[in-house]
Amino acid sequence: MEKINFDNTQYYENRELSWIKFDKRVLEEARDKSIPLLERLKFLSITSSNLDEFYMVRVASLKDMVNAEYRKKDIAGMTATEQLDAINKATREFAKAQYSTFTNSLVPLLKSNKINLINEHEKLNEAQKEFVDIYFMDNVYPVLTPMAVDASRPFPLIRNKTLNIAALLKSNKEKEEAMFATVQVPGGLNRLVTIPNEDGDERTFILLEQIIERNLDKLFSNYKILCAYPYRVMRNADFTIDEDEASDLLLEIQNKLKLRQWGEAIRLEVENKIDDKLLGILRKELKLDNEEIFKIPGPIDLTVLSKLYDIKGYDNLKYEKYIPQQVLEMKNDKNIFANIREGDILIHHPYQSFQPVVDFIRQAAADPKVLAIKQTLYRVSGNSPIITYLAQAAENGKQVTVLVELKARFDEEHNIVWAKKLERAGCHVIYGLVGLKTHSKIALVVRREEEGIRRYVHLGTGNYNDSTAKVYTDCGIFTCKESIGEDATAVFNMLSGYSEPLSWNELVLAPYWLRNKFLYLIKREINNVKNGLEGHIIAKMNSLCDKEIIKTLYMASAAGVKIDLIVRGICCLKVGIPGVSDNITVRSIVGNFLEHSRIFYFFNGGEEDIFMGSADWMPRNLDRRVEIVFPVIDSELKERVKHILNIELMDNVKAKVLLPNGEYVKVNRRGRKAVNSQITFCKEAKSLVKKDSLSVGRVFIPTE
Amino acid sequence: MDIHTFAAIYIGSYEISLNIYEISYKKRIKKIDNIRYHIELGKEAFSKKRLGYEAVEELCSKLSDFSKIINGYKVDEYEIYASAVLREVTNATFVLNQIYLRTGFSIKVINNSEHRFISYKSVAGRAGFDKIIKDSAAVVDIGGSGTQVTLFRDGELVTTQHIGLGTMKIRTLLDNRGITYSSYCKQMEEYIIKKLETFTSLYECIVENIVIMGDYATEVIRKVDKNNKENVVKTEKFVKYISKIQKKTVEEISKELNLANESDPFVLPAILLFKNLALSVKSKEVYVPGANINDGIAYNYAEKNKLIKVTHDFEKDILSTAKELSRRYNSYSPHIDALCKLSVKIFDTMKKNHGLGKRERLLLQVSAILHDCGKYISLLNSPQCAYYIVMSSEIMGLTHLERKIVALTILYNTYQLNEFEYLSQKLDHDAYLVVAKLSAILRVANALDQSHKQKFSNIKISIKERELIIKVESFEDISLEQTLFDDKTEYFENVFSLKPILKEKRVYLEED
Repeated sequence: MEKINFDNTQYYENRELSWIKFDKRVLEEARDKSIPLLERLKFLSITSSNLDEFYMVRVASLKDMVNAEYRKKDIAGMTATEQLDAINKATREFAKAQYSTFTNSLVPLLKSNKINLINEHEKLNEAQKEFVDIYFMDNVYPVLTPMAVDASRPFPLIRNKTLNIAALLKSNKEKEEAMFATVQVPGGLNRLVTIPNEDGDERTFILLEQIIERNLDKLFSNYKILCAYPYRVMRNADFTIDEDEASDLLLEIQNKLKLRQWGEAIRLEVENKIDDKLLGILRKELKLDNEEIFKIPGPIDLTVLSKLYDIKGYDNLKYEKYIPQQVLEMKNDKNIFANIREGDILIHHPYQSFQPVVDFIRQAAADPKVLAIKQTLYRVSGNSPIITYLAQAAENGKQVTVLVELKARFDEEHNIVWAKKLERAGCHVIYGLVGLKTHSKIALVVRREEEGIRRYVHLGTGNYNDSTAKVYTDCGIFTCKESIGEDATAVFNMLSGYSEPLSWNELVLAPYWLRNKFLYLIKREINNVKNGLEGHIIAKMNSLCDKEIIKTLYMASAAGVKIDLIVRGICCLKVGIPGVSDNITVRSIVGNFLEHSRIFYFFNGGEEDIFMGSADWMPRNLDRRVEIVFPVIDSELKERVKHILNIELMDNVKAKVLLPNGEYVKVNRRGRKAVNSQITFCKEAKSLVKKDSLSVGRVFIPTE
Repeated sequence: MDIHTFAAIYIGSYEISLNIYEISYKKRIKKIDNIRYHIELGKEAFSKKRLGYEAVEELCSKLSDFSKIINGYKVDEYEIYASAVLREVTNATFVLNQIYLRTGFSIKVINNSEHRFISYKSVAGRAGFDKIIKDSAAVVDIGGSGTQVTLFRDGELVTTQHIGLGTMKIRTLLDNRGITYSSYCKQMEEYIIKKLETFTSLYECIVENIVIMGDYATEVIRKVDKNNKENVVKTEKFVKYISKIQKKTVEEISKELNLANESDPFVLPAILLFKNLALSVKSKEVYVPGANINDGIAYNYAEKNKLIKVTHDFEKDILSTAKELSRRYNSYSPHIDALCKLSVKIFDTMKKNHGLGKRERLLLQVSAILHDCGKYISLLNSPQCAYYIVMSSEIMGLTHLERKIVALTILYNTYQLNEFEYLSQKLDHDAYLVVAKLSAILRVANALDQSHKQKFSNIKISIKERELIIKVESFEDISLEQTLFDDKTEYFENVFSLKPILKEKRVYLEED
C-alpha cells in the first residue's frame, strides 16, 4: 500500500475560511423561514458582531504577519497574504448575502408585521421630520463633537468600531475648496429611535445616524453640506502583551486598553452610495487600500438589530422563552453539600438551571463548616451573584482565592472592576498567569466535616456566568470524590504560583499534559482496531484546528477507527478524503442556544472513557492556556453524557453535515422523524421535573 | 472521630514546602494539601555563606502566604523546620528573627542527624517498612546538601552515614567550568563514584533493597514502570533507564520526566546519584516510597503526641547502631551486655532517686554499649578517644545534645566530673545533671564487672534508707571488685546522696 503523507496541506482547511463558513451557517438561520422573525433578526445581528470580532482579531493578526514579513504558511499551506485575499473575497460575498437577507427578506417581513425601519431620512413624512428635528436638538445636538479638517486642524482620530458621519462642506462666503468634516454618532445614545407613525398599532424606528445626517447643517452653520455619509473604521485590536516586560500585568492591560483605540485601520465600511471625493479623503487619511474598503448596501453595523429584538410586545415573533428546569438531584430541603455526597451530579445547561452553581458558592459562603472557596473566573456577568457571594464568603472569614483572567478578550475593562471589588472584600485575587490564559472552569469548596476535610468540586465546560448560562449549552459536574478534590487543590496551588503536584489522579491539564493525553486516547483507539477490536471516537467541541490532533485523527480513520465529530465553528479537518478521512463525519449544530460544551468519548474496547472540559482542539487551548479536562466517572452520568452525544448525532433539523467539497449542508432526513437536539433536551428536562412532581403527588387522599 | 489538623513547613535548599495533614488514630496520617515553592536559597547559602536581602524578602513573603493557608485550614498545630540552608549561613540569627517578626513563625533549625532522622521516620513510620529491611536494605536520602545512607541487616539498623553528595552541592561545585555538556556529565558521575567508593570500601554495603528518598525519584520510577503501584522496580531496569536518559540534555531529561521546570538544574546530579547509589549497594530492587521530610515532621509530631499507633521501634534502631559501632571498634563483648543489664537494673531501681525518664534510660544503655570503644585507638586515653568517636559518629535517632550526653557520660565514667561552669559552654544545667547521674550509675555498674568476667549472678538491687544495696551471688573470688568498689562509688554518693553497698553471697557449685 502506498504510504499516505498525513501532513499534506491539501488535507487541511484554512481556519479563517472555515470560520467564515460558520458565520454563513449562522446567516442561514437568519434566512430560515421556519424561524420566528425577530429570532432571524437576532441571528443576522450575531453574524455582524461575529464578523467585527473576526476582523479585529484574526484579520488584524494576519495583517501583522504581513507587516512583519512572517512567511510561515498555515495548516492549509497558505501564506498570510493569500489568506487575506481569500478572506476579502469571502467576506465581500458574505456581506452581500447579509444585506440581501436584510433588505429583501427581513425589512419587508418587519413591515408586514407592522414594524417599520427607516434607513433613509429622506423617506420620513412631515410629522416625523418635525419629530426627529426636535429630537435632534433636545437629545443629540448637545453631545455631538463635529470636527472639520483644514490647514490648521489635522485629520482627527476616528475611534475603532465607532459609527461616524463624514461630510463635505462648502463655505457660504468664500470660493474655497470643499472641506472635510466628521462627527461621531454618539455610542451612548440609543441607535434605534422610535418615531411617531401614521397608523396607531404600527411601530416605526429610524436610525440615529439618519437623524444626525438630516440635521448636519445645524452643526456647521455658515457652511453648505455638499454630501454626508456614515462610515465605520475597524482597527487592529489583537495585541500581544509582552509579559516578560510587564512587572504588573494589571497595569499593563489597562495601558493596552487605551492603546487599542489607536491601532492601525484595517477595514472601512461606507454606505455604497458614498461620494467618491469623500471616500477618497477617508481612504487617504486612514491609509487604506481599496481591498480594505467595503461599500455597504444598507445600514452599517447590523448589530443594532439586536436592539429591535428587545422591543416589547412582539413575543409572537420570537421563540417561546425557555425556562431552565430545576435539577432533580437538588430539588429537596437538604443543603447542596449533602446532595453532592449522595453521588456526582451532572447538570446540562441551559436545559437545566445554573442556579445550583450559584447556590454552591452562596451556601459555601454562609456555611460555618466551610474553610475555603477557590474559583477560576473567566467571563462573568455584569451583576454576577457569584462575585457577590465570593465577597460575602471572604467577609465571613473564609479563605477565598479567585483567579480572574484579565486576558479574556474584550472583557478586560469589565474584569478589572469586579476583581478590585473582590480584593476589597478580602479575597485573594490572582490576576492571571504570565504567558498563559486561564480558561479552565473549576470551583472548589473545602469543608471541615466530622470525618475530616472534605472537598467539593464543580467542574464545567462553560464560564461561571449566570446570564450566558441561559443561552450557552454547557455541562457541569459536582463531585466530592477524593481523587478529584485532591487534584482540584493541586490546580489552585499551581495557579497560585506553587509547584505542580507530583502526579494527578483524574484531571488532565493544559498546557503540560492535555495534548499528550488526547493523542494517547486517539492512538489507543488505533491500537484497539489493530488488535481486532472496534474503535470509535465521538468528540464535540467549538473548534477543531490543531494540526497534530487532526493528523492523528486522520491516522485513526485510516486505521479504521470510526470518528464522529460535532464541531460548531472552525473545523480544519476535511472529510471524505480517500484513505485519509473516509471514516470521519463532521456536523455543526447552530441553533437557538449556542453550542458550547466540549465532550470527548472514546470507545476503548468497550471500557468507554468520557471526558468533558474547557478545551477545544485548538493549539491555543492545548498549548497556551490553562485548561482542565475531567473524566465522567459514574456510570449513570456516563450514560447521560452519551445520550447527549447520541441525540446531537441524530439531529436532522439544526445540524449541518460537512461534505468532502467543504460545504455544510442540511442533513438529508430521508423520511425520518425530525430531531432537533436542543428542543429534545428542553423537553427531556421538563418531563424529568414533571415526572418527579407527579410522583410526589400533592393531592388530598379522602378516607373511604 | 477525633481529628487533628497539622501543618508541616520545611525550608529546604531549593524549595520550601507546606503540607497539611489530618492525623487520627483510625486513618493515621492523611495528607490534605501539598504546596511547594521553588526558591533556590541554597545557591547563595552554600556559596556566600549568607542569605541576602532579596532571598529573605522572597522567603518571608512566601512564608506569610503559608501562614494564611495554615489559618485557612484552621490547623491545630504547626511546625516549621529548616535545615542546611539556615544552618550554614552566618546571618541565620538575623534571618530567623526577620522571619519571626514578619510571619510569627519560630523556625526550628535542625542539624543533619535530626533532619535525617525525621525524613527516615517518614518512611520507617509506614506500615510495611519492616518487611523491606527484613533481610538487608540501604535507605538513601538525597538532599540538596548531602546524602544520608542508612544500612540495615537482618532488620536492624547497622550504620548511618552522611556523605557530602547533595544535588545542589554537586551542581554548584561543578558549575561554570566552561566544559562541554558531555564531559560535565562525565565529571559529575566520576565525582559521585569516587565519593561513594570510600563509603563502600569501609562498610559492608551489599543489600537486597535500596530505598530512595529525594526529589525526582518518584518521577523516575514512574517512567521505569508505568503500571507500578507499589513503587518497586528491579535495580537492573532502574539503572538501565537512567543510563539511557543521562545522555540527554537537561532540558530533554526534564521533559522526559515531566518536570515543572523545563530545565531543572538538579535533575542530572539527582539521577546520577540514584544510579550510582543503587549500583554501589548492588541491590536487587529499588523502592521509592515518595515520602518527604514534611511527612516525617508530621509523623514525628503524631508520635510525640501519641496521636497514632507506632509500628516501627525507633529505639531499637538506636541500640542496634550503638552495638554496631561498638563492634566496629572491637569493644563489643559479653562484658558490654552485662554492664548494660546492670546499669539498667540500677537505673530502674532508683527511679525515685534520679527522676529521669525513659529517654535517659536509653542514653544510659547507649553509653554502656559504647563506653569502651576508645580502647581501639588508645588504651591510655580510652575515655577521651571514646568521647571523640561518639561525637563524630551518627546514631540515627539521637539528637546532637543526646549524643553529647552519651559522650560525656562515657568520659566521666572514668574521669572526674568537671564543675558545671566548666561545661556550661557545652551543656545546659539539665543536661549536665543527666550526664552526672548517668555517669555515676555507669561507674557503679562498671565496678561490679571490673574483671570483665561476669562473676556475679542473681544480682538483687534495692534501696534501704540512704543505701543502695547490691546483693550478688558469686562462685568466684570477687575481691577485686570489692576492693575497687569503694573507690568507684564515692562519686555516686556525691551525686545521689546514696551509698552503694556491695553484699556478697558466695555460692559453690556442686560438681557432679
